[in-house]
Amino acid sequence: MRKLLSVLLMLCLLGSLLVPFAVAEGEEPITLTVFRGDPGDQPADDNKIYKKIEEEFGIKFEFEFLAGDLDETLGLKIQGQDFPDLFDGGNSADLIISGGALINLLDYVNPTDTPNLWAHIEPQKARIIEKDEETGEDVMYIIPNYGLAEGDQIVNAVNGPAFFIQKQVLAWGGYPQIKTLDEYFDLIEKFIEANPTNADGTPYIGFDILTEDWRRFCLINPVQHLMGRPNDGEVLVDINNDYHTETFINQPYAKRYYQKLNEEFHKGLISQDTFPMTYDQYIAQLSSGIVLGMFDQTWDFGNATTALQDAGMYENTYVALGLIYDESEVADVLPEGWKIEEHYVNGGVPNIRRGFGISVNCECPERIVKMWERMLDEDWQLLFNWGVEGEDYSIENGRLVMTEEQYANTLDTEWQKHNKARAFFESSPKRQGYIMEGELAGNCWEPGNQPEILFGMMNDYDKEFLAAYGYKKFGDFVNPPIELAPYGEAWQIDYTPVDQDHTDFINIQMEYLPKLIMCDPAEFDALWDEFVTTINPSATAFGEYMDEAVKAEVAKVLG
Amino acid sequence: MADNARGITRYYIPKKKGFFTRLAKQWQLALMSVPMFLYVFLFNYVPMWGWRNAFLDYTNKKQVAKGITPFYGWKNFQWLFSRPDFFQSIRNTLAMSVINLVFGTVSAILLAVLLNEVRQKAFKRTVQTVTYLPHFLSMVIVVAMAQNIFNSNGAVNQLLLSLGIVKESVFWLGEGKYFWWLVGVINVWKEVGWGTIIYISAMTSIDPALYEAASIDGAGRFQRILHVTLPGIKSTFVILLIMNIGHLMEAGFEIQYLLGNPLVMNWSRTIDIFVLEYGTQKLNFGVATAAGMFKSVVAIILLVGANFISKRLGEDTLV
Repeated sequence: MRKLLSVLLMLCLLGSLLVPFAVAEGEEPITLTVFRGDPGDQPADDNKIYKKIEEEFGIKFEFEFLAGDLDETLGLKIQGQDFPDLFDGGNSADLIISGGALINLLDYVNPTDTPNLWAHIEPQKARIIEKDEETGEDVMYIIPNYGLAEGDQIVNAVNGPAFFIQKQVLAWGGYPQIKTLDEYFDLIEKFIEANPTNADGTPYIGFDILTEDWRRFCLINPVQHLMGRPNDGEVLVDINNDYHTETFINQPYAKRYYQKLNEEFHKGLISQDTFPMTYDQYIAQLSSGIVLGMFDQTWDFGNATTALQDAGMYENTYVALGLIYDESEVADVLPEGWKIEEHYVNGGVPNIRRGFGISVNCECPERIVKMWERMLDEDWQLLFNWGVEGEDYSIENGRLVMTEEQYANTLDTEWQKHNKARAFFESSPKRQGYIMEGELAGNCWEPGNQPEILFGMMNDYDKEFLAAYGYKKFGDFVNPPIELAPYGEAWQIDYTPVDQDHTDFINIQMEYLPKLIMCDPAEFDALWDEFVTTINPSATAFGEYMDEAVKAEVAKVLG
Repeated sequence: MADNARGITRYYIPKKKGFFTRLAKQWQLALMSVPMFLYVFLFNYVPMWGWRNAFLDYTNKKQVAKGITPFYGWKNFQWLFSRPDFFQSIRNTLAMSVINLVFGTVSAILLAVLLNEVRQKAFKRTVQTVTYLPHFLSMVIVVAMAQNIFNSNGAVNQLLLSLGIVKESVFWLGEGKYFWWLVGVINVWKEVGWGTIIYISAMTSIDPALYEAASIDGAGRFQRILHVTLPGIKSTFVILLIMNIGHLMEAGFEIQYLLGNPLVMNWSRTIDIFVLEYGTQKLNFGVATAAGMFKSVVAIILLVGANFISKRLGEDTLV
């Protein structure tokens, strides 16, 4: 009996060894480990897109998502040399690159072997391909996951930073044009005066400021935009003055913004509770529809927008406004020759050093690159973006269309687990913008941008709202994009060499800015001076480093 | 124990023998201690090798990631001691530790004494269970609850307002001066039940005859507590105190990290958070280790100091 069992067991083991050979066509199946530098959902086992990947490429994925602090997680992986095959370092990819975790993709990506990938990065290759500091050779560790769009830039809505205001406030004010900081706060003040509470009797909050952890940009970033620049992180770049770069927070023109916030605080528009607030509490607050305005980036509160839409509270969703300083108010403190013109939306920004790299531990880098190469073909891109034809979308008269139900499905996270390959596709190279060739030319790669879906499925409130302004899309509330500066966006610049100064620079801001907003107006000037004196050393160190880095980047890109 | 009950104590006085003779005689005991010895060696002594990191240069992140960390002398320590916020974090750590120690010990003893006086078993059990359940809650949840309770419209402010104790709501979460006490209060709520367990068990070992004798001598309930219960747990208290003093440099990490916000960061940053901000998150293990070493050295000094004082006062000691 025992002998029989052991023979059976042997056979089973042998069988399991043989099975892969039976399935393999050309290349043996392989399971790749994948790390994503942000939290996410594991796909379902029966996910149809991953099944197709397995069928065509013989590749399966084992995902690990970020849980906890990103830098710490990456630091541990570097210390232990414990790298997944596909490695997405999220916002701290600089760490794993300097940690030697990634291979140079240029060993595999070139015009002859990978024409698709090459064509994909070519227009921006001056930014994407970097020079190794020590060896001086060309390197590319990561193919940007977003921002390499084809065709005219699509600005259906503001996806990045802006001052946001609830639609009902604009509607109540008679659909005014709001362009300056003062007009913005004026309108909110008047609205609150007339409607102190919502229908349930909950008081409205005029303006929220999120300060939690890295989302502190809601508190410390607005000044550059008020000065008329797109998102350069914590510095202001003067593109008309040899790309002179400085930190803006310690400059006289920044004082105006925080003084305004101080005024609004004492008028009761800003609550003290905004500073201890966590991100979850912030999203909960926005989702309840009581927050009238805030400075943020669209993607940062997407969950709140979805919640409001699901609840049918369209009047409580937000419009992105591009506010600037009233030039007459800051005229005496502007840098020489500076003109304030609203530029919230930047020209197509490749997401440099964001996305998957292939780690040095990976045994089949060539196979992955080949897979990406093949995936840039139209059929695979449509599969990732639109789904399976006939099932998830259809083609009518050369246009890609979805029914309302099909589109609603794509937004349902539970459905996505079975029918979308988000965890893999989001960090992989992808085509965006317009389809430029073939029978489908003129369609959008992404369903969310396709006019039939964007406008066809817009709710009635939004349609009437836009009609009242005479606009076609929400992107019309801001100026059209400007051409991307040669250095890209300065927040993408790696500042690890001045890390410690940067930490001080941030900590001092986080200590003083809330105090400045809440202090007695009579003490504001004195406190501001104290703030500037305290922050100057670290701000100068960080600013000077960034000045050099921006200029170096410009020199590199302009050749 | 049987001997003790009759008030007779027998001492076994071993004859002086060599260490190895004794070891051979007690080989079973020695064998049993091997796992603990290994545990302490592996997890407490071997990691000390990592202390060498305190003398290595981790400031260049790119080099660190490549594994290049040259000798750096005392520069990590010099950097630490040049930072006013490092001293600030030491101050915060010690302040919160002392508050936690005092609040925690006093509340635990108080509750233990109260429970000890309760004669109704069911009630006693219920209170015990209810008070120590929060110990098992994750700090994340506790802090989220605290944030709701203590915010401007939270339960505490509403209570204070309705009782007329304050005129406008208190900004508990945003004022640095409240932060240490808030941490103390939250810790008491979370740990008080857990802390009583050891004192209650100490109280059960007090000879009931002592209580009877005290009653006969005319001692009331409070006098029995004062003269029997409290002296009965004194040695437990002293040992726990000495051990806790050794942990004074550890005020916790989670609660300050979660409850802290920009407004109170000068009061909430403990040594551990400082190490995280300037050390671990920046891969600067040199600074992180230096701060850790400093912490350990201070802890040893505190521990030995407390032990010495305790010995001088004629109390029980740890070593």
